[in-house]
Amino acid sequence: MTVTARWDADTAVEELYAAHYRRLVRLAILLVRDPETAEEVVQDSFVAMHGKWRTLKEPDSGLAYLRQTVVNRARSVLRHRGVQSRYVATHRAAPMPEEPGADERALADERRGRVLDAMRELPGRQREVLALRYYLDLSEAEIAETLGISRGAVKSHASRGVAALREQLRDRLGDRLEDL
Amino acid sequence: MDQTTPHEEWVRGLLEDAVSDVAPEHGLDSIRRRTSSTAARHGRRGWLWAAGSAVVATAATVAAVVTLSNGPGTPQADHGFASGAASSQARQSASAQSGAASGSSQPSQGTTKAGPVDSTVTVPVYFVGQTPHGPRLYRDDQQVPAADAATPAVHAALAGYSTDPDYTSPWPSTAQVDKVSADGSGITIALQSGGNPLADRPSGMSSDEATLAVQQLVYTAQDALSSKAPVSFTVDGQPASKLLGVDVSGGVDRAPDTSTEALVWVLSPVQGAKVHSPFKVTGLANAFEANVVWELEQGGQVVKQGHTTAQEAFLMSPYSFNVDAPPGDYTLVVHDDDASGQGNVTQDTKDITVLP
Repeated sequence: MTVTARWDADTAVEELYAAHYRRLVRLAILLVRDPETAEEVVQDSFVAMHGKWRTLKEPDSGLAYLRQTVVNRARSVLRHRGVQSRYVATHRAAPMPEEPGADERALADERRGRVLDAMRELPGRQREVLALRYYLDLSEAEIAETLGISRGAVKSHASRGVAALREQLRDRLGDRLEDL
Repeated sequence: MDQTTPHEEWVRGLLEDAVSDVAPEHGLDSIRRRTSSTAARHGRRGWLWAAGSAVVATAATVAAVVTLSNGPGTPQADHGFASGAASSQARQSASAQSGAASGSSQPSQGTTKAGPVDSTVTVPVYFVGQTPHGPRLYRDDQQVPAADAATPAVHAALAGYSTDPDYTSPWPSTAQVDKVSADGSGITIALQSGGNPLADRPSGMSSDEATLAVQQLVYTAQDALSSKAPVSFTVDGQPASKLLGVDVSGGVDRAPDTSTEALVWVLSPVQGAKVHSPFKVTGLANAFEANVVWELEQGGQVVKQGHTTAQEAFLMSPYSFNVDAPPGDYTLVVHDDDASGQGNVTQDTKDITVLP
């Protein structure tokens, strides 16, 4: 319960943008991989939240709505884009650059790419649960609410997701996995 | 919250790092442009329609003719083919959509049965939306070719080609609809798996969602064919006994609407509609004491509000009301009464533009 004056929809967008935009875009990248698509998804979600602000009223509900909308829209975008998984499939075989002199930054970019590719290969719910739990640090209860699934399901998606992500990365990185 | 294992800590570090180089900075202007009251809020649903199929093109012209039977018929009278008299706002909505049509001709004004005129019909297509009671079906009326209305309608449902961004489809993206047909023994939906088996429930899909996914297709196919016959499925040419973990052997009947449909639907105006004031809002609601509440919002502020009653309580039944508003962009929110006092309302929202 807040005792401060209620934000109007424009203020809500500005405040929540300032506090959460970057993190939500990063969350969306973990879900859809492509940064431009991720920004679109998050911007769409802010616009939708603006439209529903009257029923949301509180910053916490606004943020919860944003998270849920980002996840739902990301899922919807992926459904319309078989392209993404084909991208992953054709790139997974490429070896990690091995030259000892390779620029550290390029290696880091490569590693990030592999992790995002691996995320994209996971079943949707596992990907969503991993992103919400280990990137946003949401509790099981919050994730259950965001995704509309039980806490038990959150737990099992999380543990399977961690195992599946390791598996995916082992395929991609082999014995370099443990260096990550 | 809970104690974490080293593997969990490892994932945490990995994910944090994977996106650490992303620093988006210029989103606010773009969001503001779209939320300001004068902005054209509906200019960019680009990605939704980007999939480029004929069905998508059809969906973009959606409900150029939205009609709702205003008679005191049973709720079923509102399912199936558009049959009511053309209302003025249906024509407005039709003219507002002009220019959006890709290839299909516009329905002539004043006619309701677009079919014989331009070979398209308007059929209900069902999608999944979130409500306080869990996921439920929402109805989105779409124009499809009259020659084979059921196949594109069911495909739109499965692929999630909704006109309202609040509605989605839980089906795996690889699945496709091959053909929807009907004969004396019932309706058959022929699916293509696209490589991923469809028999088992994907991890991450709840059994409620799976049941609703099957019902999405059952509702859409039955309405497109004006039939209540049970729906059988084939996958890649073989009869299916299980879909997404749901038993579909022997055909699937339409599930009771009270446990399947969202309690409030707005059928007209459609998302993105451009209307003249006063405009008429029509839909179906299953509301406590038949109370239907609405607000017209601009920039997140309520500028108009009111309530009406549906024809019957505790049963999906028609409601309608008129709204008078100055030109501008609005969000129309229609919801049931908050009987619990907990804010648990089922709502349907439509972004609309009132033309000068």
